[in-house]
Amino acid sequence: MTTMDPKKLKELEEAKRAWEEQCLKPALETFPERRKNFLTDIGLNIERLYTPLDLERVDFDYEKDLGFPGQFPYTRGISPTMYRSAPWIVRAYSGFGEPELCNKRYKKLVEWGVDEIVMAVDLPTQVGYDSDHLMARGEVGKVGVAIDTLRDMEILFEGIPLNKLKRVSMLGNSFGPIALSLFIALGERQGLRPEEFVVDLQNDILKEYVARGTYIFPIRPSVRVTTDVVGYCARHAPHWYPSTLCANHLNAAGAGSSKAAAFAMANGVCYLRHLVEKGYAVDDVAPLFCMFLDERSDFFVAICHFRAARRVWAKILKEKFHAMDPRSTALKITAYSHGGETLLEPINNIARITLAALAYVLGGVQFLYNASYDEVLGTPSEEAAKISIRIQQILAHELGITSTVDPLGGSYFIETLTTEIEREISEEFEKVEALGGAIAAIEKGYYLSAITEGANRRQKEFERGERVSIGVNKWRIETKPPYGAFRIDPMIETKQVERLSKVKRERNERRVKEALQYVREVAQGEGNLVPPSLEAVRAYATIGEICDVLRSVFGEYQAREYFSAKGS
Amino acid sequence: MRRKPRILIGKVGLDGHEVGARVVAKALADAGMEVIYTGLRQTPEMIVRTAIEEGVDLIGISILSGSHMTFFPEILRLLKAYQAEDIPFIAGGIIPAEDVERLKEMGVKEIFPPETPTSEIVRFVKGLLAERP
Repeated sequence: MTTMDPKKLKELEEAKRAWEEQCLKPALETFPERRKNFLTDIGLNIERLYTPLDLERVDFDYEKDLGFPGQFPYTRGISPTMYRSAPWIVRAYSGFGEPELCNKRYKKLVEWGVDEIVMAVDLPTQVGYDSDHLMARGEVGKVGVAIDTLRDMEILFEGIPLNKLKRVSMLGNSFGPIALSLFIALGERQGLRPEEFVVDLQNDILKEYVARGTYIFPIRPSVRVTTDVVGYCARHAPHWYPSTLCANHLNAAGAGSSKAAAFAMANGVCYLRHLVEKGYAVDDVAPLFCMFLDERSDFFVAICHFRAARRVWAKILKEKFHAMDPRSTALKITAYSHGGETLLEPINNIARITLAALAYVLGGVQFLYNASYDEVLGTPSEEAAKISIRIQQILAHELGITSTVDPLGGSYFIETLTTEIEREISEEFEKVEALGGAIAAIEKGYYLSAITEGANRRQKEFERGERVSIGVNKWRIETKPPYGAFRIDPMIETKQVERLSKVKRERNERRVKEALQYVREVAQGEGNLVPPSLEAVRAYATIGEICDVLRSVFGEYQAREYFSAKGS
Repeated sequence: MRRKPRILIGKVGLDGHEVGARVVAKALADAGMEVIYTGLRQTPEMIVRTAIEEGVDLIGISILSGSHMTFFPEILRLLKAYQAEDIPFIAGGIIPAEDVERLKEMGVKEIFPPETPTSEIVRFVKGLLAERP
């Protein structure tokens, strides 16, 4: 029920009809609209004009749907003061080459004022192969920095105490316990206890089976690997963020933001149920999750998407898990500002990234990182990385953008769209529940079919020119992509492999063997995988060695080998 | 009647981003070709062996990880070693312009950057296959 007086509503309806007749109709004859429908990427149609009548249509109620920031259902934000107390955490996703080289870039990031460094690690590291593995050939240090052992972490963070940053992070999707252990052990080397710094991990394996692809083990043991990290932190470092539920990659792959968020929430619910089954109280583990949301196509949808997602999550936690702690129901949001960056005229990407970041800020983001304008060319250059950080600092400290909480709250458009998106996410989430939850939805191919359908639709829209990309399919001038990508020296692989063999020569081999045996025993049983992983990391066992033990216990995920798509 | 053209679309190395590969596979299938998609984490050896075993008319590799200068020359070398260099090899993904030129000199038939319409890829593939003896 809306708060509007029925008599006033009736008058407004009549007034709108009169406006349409007297003002709109003649105008449309002279200035016809550019398109029949103004469709968003998620398929919602944007109306010409929004009025209180739309709020009535979606049954908007201030107290039920918005309330106050810091209170259920958190539409207006998760804290009562939001950016007036502190702007969001400025993150930098960075990593390339080998640790010594990358450390120089990290020192610059600190100098430029980032709050958090998110380590980009190379693909061999992400899938648990050491730099000297056959499958690592040609990939070492390419899309991120190569990490084989704790020694690499020590070099990477040389001169950067972990408590100098507000948070430190790594993705670690397929081997969360090892990623977490690397930070704990690095803290020990730097003389810091876990209470003195903050770690956040992506550690969300389920989405890897349908987008991104850095899985190692089969699905079920992987859920244990992911949730063991959350369980360990709940007991030993409850101020850390051990898992980030990712909608971003699902949307990037083609799901569309509403479905992507619904799938990410279903994945989160799968982890939560697993933890509850293991005996954790929901309010001990739910506050440790955050969510990586994404909407790159429509500015206002992005704002409303964040507001709507907070509402959906709060309701799931309250209704399905009976969470009592406000920290469980308040959804903390991570986002990555980008959208439609182009290879042609790459400087234009600065505008695209800035606007994406602004949308996320207006949507009430907690942890933000920006793409670099040259990312589409390869690893970001130093200048591009700096600009990405500066954009965030400008948004946070110039122009008064952060002076009030939820500045767009109450807009007829924003509130209508927020409610419509909330319904889309909820409905999609319930569909996944009805299929039997996240694992069933993955195994039945439900996620993948939604993703593939969306990816093909986007490509068609782009080719028909409906999805405009300035300088590419509209007002195109340049024909050839620019030269001068930032390059990774191929000698880096040799250097990293040499460092790895040196570490192996110098470490205490007996201690390594014992620690790996401890990993095996715990993996074969029901215990938490973090303590044995930590022992192994401390002994300078390599990520590959620890993963090999886990592979021998859990097996490896076998992706579908190939399929034939027969043309009609 | 001549059989439908058979195309192998593959992902080489550890790169897990497969949207591009899937979209191109679908576009080629829609254009009447039979497409075999290898899935992730293939080695050059696996790609070339599959291509020969399946008797494909063209190999298309998608790569976004920056490891193309390791894998592409290796694929070309293996094609030669297996006496299958008549199978044309095209690629797409994030590949710097200077590498594109070098790889084309080595024998990669074409490299499509991001933002390429799939219709352009379909046209190119059809043209290439029309030249077959």
